[in-house]
Amino acid sequence: MSASKQAIRIEPGERPTLSTADCGATSTAALPTATSRRILPIVEVAALLIAAVLPLVLQDYLTVFATRVIILALFALSFDLVWGYAGIMSFGQALFFGSAGYGVALLARDLDITAIYLVLPAGMLIGLVFSLLLGGFLLLGRYPSSVIFVALGTLTGSYAADRLARGWYYLGGQNGIPSIPAMSFGSYDFDEGPVFYYLTLGILLVVYLLCRFLVRSQFGLALAGLRENEQRIAFFGYKAQHLKAIVFAVGGAIAGLAGGLYAFHEGFVWPNMLGVVISTQVVLYVLFGGSGTLIGAVIGTVIIEGVSFWLSDNYRDIWPIILGVMLLLVILFRPLGLISFVVGERERVGSFGSGRRSRHAAP
Amino acid sequence: MASAFAAAFEILSFGAIIVLVVLGLGIIASMMGIFNFAQGEFVLLGAYITYLAYSHGMPVWVGMAAAPFLVGALGFVLEALIIRRFYAAPIVAMLGTYALGLIIRECVRGLIGGLYLSVPEPIGGSIDIGTSHLSAWRFTIIVVTLLVMLGCYLLLARTSFGLRVRATLENPALARASGISTSLIYGATFAFGAALAGLAGALVVPVFSLFADLGIRFLIQGFVAVMVGGVGSFIGPVAGAAVIGTLSAALPWVMAPVIADILVFVLAIVFIKFRPQGLLSGKGV
Amino acid sequence: MLGDHLKLSRRRFLSNFAFASGAIATGMGSWVIRPDWANAAEAPIKVGIATDLTGPIAYAGNADANTAKMVVKEINDAGGLLGRPLELYIEDTASNESVAVGNVRKLIQRDKVDLVLGGITSSMRNAIKDPIVARGKTLYIYPQLYEGKECTPYLFCTGPTPAQQCDEFIPWLIKNGGKRFALPSANYVWPHTLNIYARKVIEDHGGEVIFEEYYPLDQVDFSATVNRVISNKVDVVFNTVIPPGVGPFFKQLYEAGFLKNGGRLACVYYDENTLNINQANEIEGLASCLDYFKALTKDDPVSAKIQAAYEKDYPGNFLFAAGSAATGTYRGLKLWEAAVKEAGKVDRESVAAALDHAKIAEGPGGPAEMVPGKRHCKMKMYTAVAKGGVYEVVAHSNGLVDPKEC
Repeated sequence: MSASKQAIRIEPGERPTLSTADCGATSTAALPTATSRRILPIVEVAALLIAAVLPLVLQDYLTVFATRVIILALFALSFDLVWGYAGIMSFGQALFFGSAGYGVALLARDLDITAIYLVLPAGMLIGLVFSLLLGGFLLLGRYPSSVIFVALGTLTGSYAADRLARGWYYLGGQNGIPSIPAMSFGSYDFDEGPVFYYLTLGILLVVYLLCRFLVRSQFGLALAGLRENEQRIAFFGYKAQHLKAIVFAVGGAIAGLAGGLYAFHEGFVWPNMLGVVISTQVVLYVLFGGSGTLIGAVIGTVIIEGVSFWLSDNYRDIWPIILGVMLLLVILFRPLGLISFVVGERERVGSFGSGRRSRHAAP
Repeated sequence: MASAFAAAFEILSFGAIIVLVVLGLGIIASMMGIFNFAQGEFVLLGAYITYLAYSHGMPVWVGMAAAPFLVGALGFVLEALIIRRFYAAPIVAMLGTYALGLIIRECVRGLIGGLYLSVPEPIGGSIDIGTSHLSAWRFTIIVVTLLVMLGCYLLLARTSFGLRVRATLENPALARASGISTSLIYGATFAFGAALAGLAGALVVPVFSLFADLGIRFLIQGFVAVMVGGVGSFIGPVAGAAVIGTLSAALPWVMAPVIADILVFVLAIVFIKFRPQGLLSGKGV
Repeated sequence: MLGDHLKLSRRRFLSNFAFASGAIATGMGSWVIRPDWANAAEAPIKVGIATDLTGPIAYAGNADANTAKMVVKEINDAGGLLGRPLELYIEDTASNESVAVGNVRKLIQRDKVDLVLGGITSSMRNAIKDPIVARGKTLYIYPQLYEGKECTPYLFCTGPTPAQQCDEFIPWLIKNGGKRFALPSANYVWPHTLNIYARKVIEDHGGEVIFEEYYPLDQVDFSATVNRVISNKVDVVFNTVIPPGVGPFFKQLYEAGFLKNGGRLACVYYDENTLNINQANEIEGLASCLDYFKALTKDDPVSAKIQAAYEKDYPGNFLFAAGSAATGTYRGLKLWEAAVKEAGKVDRESVAAALDHAKIAEGPGGPAEMVPGKRHCKMKMYTAVAKGGVYEVVAHSNGLVDPKEC
């Protein structure tokens, strides 16, 4: 193949689009020259500002609700990382969410451990361990697993964990573990309300920034390649399966963190936290908001939970149907989620090496 | 001895129910390559139609006879409007059919008011064989399942319609080139799969009672069964359903039900991991 | 502590202030019921009901909600409580603990009710008691029969306890059924704890427990269990499997010939509502021990009056029955009414102190009395047998039975 030796100008914010068809053609003509405005950071900052002032304008009751939504957004973030960035359709994120919840509940019930600096890391650790185990089994191996297999494997894992928890009396059986004491820091108890809200918001912010850093790093570059074409990235020498397993584990750890927070905020854990409904719910959040953008996961969660809450009083019967219809419409016509209304595809996919004008031909 | 016989009967009847549900799922998965997350809800619809007929004073078997046709017709319409957009991307298909299933499930939930409703069986009582009492209705389910499977086989292997279906399954492009309307075949296949699910729901509702989450419990077992059996043929999912159904029904006799429940899934997933093509791979009948 | 008190009064102030405008502006859903004369100068007393309006236990939850509406209307028609109207807030716990907690929070934090009555299954009670009693600092009345051992302060139980349901019932079963017992159960806290108590009573009276097993709540295939019952020649099946499994279970037992061979079914939550789950022949001879049966209306005028009032206002499928917590709801609300009248105030401390020893002379099945310091209720118990799909009372306790809890 005679590759063109022509220099390719890459504008900031652009992704080099070089296909075999471009070889030989004047590449500058193939690239639009205008730089697109970066919408994502604006959306992110706006969301952060709104979230920061929320407890000041809402009553206590709604602040408690908002805290719950933020914890779920954290959970959704874990799924976005796994699916939006690595292309792993994990239908069983609730397995890590719920196991961490159960884990910290057992710590609180049996060992009286409620200190925040112990239970939250414990939750993360439980999520990490389970996701390493499950991810290792499903993803690693001589032959790469099909997407369907991973999806069904995770779904089955979540379902099996639900049944196990439902049947194991030590874990409370059908009851779950109620009356979990409040998370503590020394002698201070984290009760529901503005304090817990800011705590979870802070945690979400830190995790979000870490994820953003991760996906914009070299690792993230490899992930982007993985998502676009797994075989090609493997030919480059990257161990695609290992990359996937790592991302899956990180996602599991984040889900575990969310699970620990959820357990202490709600005050009880029960088998449904591990099960299929919550697993698919988080898929819906991310699908709705827009996968692969991190903030899309947060927005999707906020919108679905918020509207569901607002409508639940008056249209509690109709709301799930409306939700299903909206979801179906999004899947059919806007598979990139609601975020695609404001964020262009180019920005959603991500740009690497932005800000540096590269005059070298892309490999 | 009688106990073993009773056990065998129970296992068979339970397996038959799974086979009915999975048959539709497997046919759709083999033919169009998509996993229909709404299959459980087609089962629910079959059960609901049966209940509806019963609550309006009609005999139960009328509802049961009508259910497959009505659900099949709905399946045909849904395929034409929505499902066919998903053939290119199986993952999107899973999500899309899940959303569809959600809509159907919540509609039914609203219609039955979130309650658990019971429907009597058309053929009640029990058949006494020696000291064993066998539920007459469960026996009927086994018989109907066998008839349906036989009918499917005959349809696929012996009719020209079946020939066209098999051709589309093995090589869609060539089938299209030969003048077979693959879109019509796909529509018919989806409708058939839905009809089977509707039939399963109708037959099962006297046993399980009607409630909105009826479909979910079959869904996971169904998927696992299809993957264990092997996607791409018709006999594969049936084999998978037989295996999963038998295991699910037999294991609780020898161990605690909870462990049995989970063990079936764990074994299935491990099996699929090491034999991704399932029990019976390859296309065709 | 001080901060707590200040927060409480600020909340109260805001709620009082907001009442006049809030009722219309917030557009609360159809689950708020207030009397016609609500424009009285006094702020209403708010009663919250959290019960299963949907889900497998909906047959009981709807009965409870109806009973609550009936009692509150009765109180309001008589001029309210302490001259103030009662306002009823009903939330659906949907047999789903997670949804329940969210909705209960609405009652506590948004509606700021003075009392929460509800929860049916023990798992539901366990899930919502914390948001109500501990975090919400509100009074909680639990109206359903249960396994006992609930000694949380400010949590009052007005349904039968194992002592009330088993002490006289099990000897009756041994005499009228046989000595070999099986304990098939749903896998959650109520059956586990009840079975411990029942086993002791069974063995103390010369009976024998052949097997005790626990099943997931949604299990509907009981062939292995039925086989075990038949082959072990069990006389009495002391069942604690709950809906949705109980219908298929009884049906499968019947089909295997358990009743034909002289077996007896016993189920302590089985009441007029659940009678409809199975066909009459499948549950012929089923025995239950509860605080009320409709058959009592023949002899007890008070019960007859209550039953008639319920059936007049709420004809339909949700019956006023004891296993569905409807009688416990009635009892609980009336006891609370008596306590509030005695205390003269509505704050939790005063009412709890009065409720501790509250008594009502007229209730379904007879009078009821709270045992001081124990937060459980003495009531009369009745044993009944299902014949042709209808209950017939065959035994009753001598006076009020002690709950023997806490």
